[in-house]
Amino acid sequence: MQTKGRFDPNSPAIKAYEQELAHQFVREGTMVAFPTCLPGITARITHDECRITALDIDPEAQIYGGTSGRQAHLFAARFHDLTGVVLDVGIVPGGTSTVAACCAKSRTLAFVNGARGGRAIAIPKIDLAQDWIQEWGLDPSVLQDLGECVPGEPVVHAICDPSRTTVIGVTSGHLFTLDGESWKIAVRGEVAGRGHLALSNSGVFGQDEGARLWHFDLASGKIRRAAVDLPAGDWTGAVRWARGSEADQLLMADASGQLFSFDENKGFHRLGKAHLAPVGPMAMTPDGRLFGFCGAEMANLFCCDLAAGSVSNLGVAASVLEQRRYGYQFGDAVTGPDGEIVFGEDDNDGHLWLYFPKIKRIQRTPA
Amino acid sequence: MSAGQEIDRRTFMKLGSTALAAGMAPTLQTELRPAAEAPYPVKWYPFTGHPDSDTCWSLSVGPDGRIYAAACAESVPGGVVKPVRYNEERDDLDYLFDLAEKVDDPGDSGRATQCKIHYSFAPSMHDQVLYMATHLSGPPIDLPRYSPWYSWHDAKRGFRGSALLAFDTRNDCVLWWDTLIPKEGCRCLLHDEERGLLYAMSYPRDHFIIYDLQTRKRRDIGRISSINPQALFLDKQHRVWTSSDYGRLVRYTPDTDRLEISPGLLAHDLNYQTGWHGVFYDVAPSPDRECVYASTWCPNPHLMRIWLNEGEWPRVEDLGPATQPRDPAFPVDMFTDHCGGLTFAGDGKLYYVASRWNDPKYNPLPGTGKQLQGVVWRLDPQTLRREEVSQLKHPTGVANYVSRGAVDHNGDLFFGHVGNHPSGVFKVSMPAERKKKNAHLPIRMWG
Repeated sequence: MQTKGRFDPNSPAIKAYEQELAHQFVREGTMVAFPTCLPGITARITHDECRITALDIDPEAQIYGGTSGRQAHLFAARFHDLTGVVLDVGIVPGGTSTVAACCAKSRTLAFVNGARGGRAIAIPKIDLAQDWIQEWGLDPSVLQDLGECVPGEPVVHAICDPSRTTVIGVTSGHLFTLDGESWKIAVRGEVAGRGHLALSNSGVFGQDEGARLWHFDLASGKIRRAAVDLPAGDWTGAVRWARGSEADQLLMADASGQLFSFDENKGFHRLGKAHLAPVGPMAMTPDGRLFGFCGAEMANLFCCDLAAGSVSNLGVAASVLEQRRYGYQFGDAVTGPDGEIVFGEDDNDGHLWLYFPKIKRIQRTPA
Repeated sequence: MSAGQEIDRRTFMKLGSTALAAGMAPTLQTELRPAAEAPYPVKWYPFTGHPDSDTCWSLSVGPDGRIYAAACAESVPGGVVKPVRYNEERDDLDYLFDLAEKVDDPGDSGRATQCKIHYSFAPSMHDQVLYMATHLSGPPIDLPRYSPWYSWHDAKRGFRGSALLAFDTRNDCVLWWDTLIPKEGCRCLLHDEERGLLYAMSYPRDHFIIYDLQTRKRRDIGRISSINPQALFLDKQHRVWTSSDYGRLVRYTPDTDRLEISPGLLAHDLNYQTGWHGVFYDVAPSPDRECVYASTWCPNPHLMRIWLNEGEWPRVEDLGPATQPRDPAFPVDMFTDHCGGLTFAGDGKLYYVASRWNDPKYNPLPGTGKQLQGVVWRLDPQTLRREEVSQLKHPTGVANYVSRGAVDHNGDLFFGHVGNHPSGVFKVSMPAERKKKNAHLPIRMWG
């Protein structure tokens, strides 16, 4: 007995609304939330120590990452062949926030802030290749504390150089490098410590004061402040980047959700706008689609199809395989070897979310 | 759904959402009630004063010993909730106020409405205040449905937030109100009177919320999981307990300001369940406050007795399934398969309502009676034997889904019911020899 409803249930607008509601979760592709454990064998990372805020993937498709919360944990993960595991490698003493994981050639390095400052932590090499099945075990690994990166300054972000022999990081006020062989940390100069870093062919870009980027030249080791003017947009927030599918291509978002591609030689190109802001972690599939999350508190998945020139809302993240879980906040993303994207859930009891995008139909042209 | 019609499964799932136990779990022993003993008398009180009402998710005894219930209207676009109280002089319901008007969020605002109070009455004994907090799901007046996920970022359509009201039961007035949880509903509410704190679970994000009644400030302690627990409860050490999706106990300890998850699982059917979705549905404290009795919101819900003060984590006693055997290979909705309304009465026994339905294979019901029944059980905590003392009877509709139960200061039982239009409450009169004045004390501090 609906006594009050002021609408025509048969109107096109109401039918369209009903249709929208019917597809408010993961409108394309499939998401699988994987817990931070070896299912059936080990316990998950403690509920309030499991906000996944940093991820990287090495050339062998092994993922490394770190958490934030009451204590920061570092982990290794793999989801291929017979292996499906998130291995909690250890707790970083005094650490509460992991801001970056970098798969250098010899070790993976994580950057963790906490009561003991912003520190570099080396994760030992862990081989989870091929058939790391439930029957196996391994000796506990020991995390190696390489020290505070810049005294008194929290680390903001860090990335590897193309050869993966050097890590370039930024604190709240300085740029530093960490040699992947000697583990020596060197402070290279002052920069604005805002937002994430991006790797180009010539070096590293970071967000400078105002609407500009600074540039760190890998060959010369020189920092050039205000090296690049950002395009018209809202640059008041911390920028997020993703690697493009083509060499030299970077992708970024401003605080209002505008998406841009950036090429050192060609400059910026506006791609469109996500339907919510801020834009969080993003990663690109090899076919040229950028997937990411946008919106605070309850993020939505979006897809920016560079070829089609479209940006679409793919709804709220949900995983329904075996158990239902909603995904509301995400911290980082990497692209897997087969084009799947792995998102780190930045929430209590965070999971690694594997996203398998919808396969695009091939448009065949008649012979 | 028209007045008097039985609710169907799909309608219920829209409203409410959002085994074989043989050999694997203890089974509650049933005593046949002597034929000479008449069933406890039952009377139905429909919310005729709020004909839009379609559910009653909250029913509690107030600090004054009287019964309060929520006449919710969640399937009606623009629907709002009206708290009601049982008037023992008139043997009828008093409609206290239109809650949406009180909190300046009327049903025709264009937003999702203040449509219900969901397990969220909590008494305050020292000042005779009854706290109540609203929940969401009622659609805006010009839309057929509402989704908090879809409209989270929509300032025009989105739910304004759970409204918390302090209702003075002595003077029948709302003393003050506040927004308890912006944009989200309150699934369940608890009052720690000694500490002056309210605890709540948010929906849909499943965050654990603390509200300080003195400062009227809210703290968000963070997310628990995805499926809302339907109850919060308190122990003697001021720790607050609930459950996670995975059927584990969740404990908030004020001294450490932490949410912790138990290593062990709550009771569930080991034949075909993992514990997932084994969140608490209803939890009643024992009169001595040494343990609680609980049911879960999952198929074939088990009754449990949980000893909160034993060990690092409480001892959970599985008292067996509360409802009948069923085909574990095929889903039966949680409207049909349900147990709620747990409350202790003046005779020191636990009362609750469990559904019973006709299942040609597992539970064929003889005769021409209702094919879906609400059975009132009386459980002896000493022997753990239970007896059927009555069946809830609705004149035309269903009577199987009880949300909450309570005993009033006269010692009679009341049960809130979901599934009819209008919805309403049942009164189950206790036999004189089992009745006790002020049987509601010590009072339950959560919804």
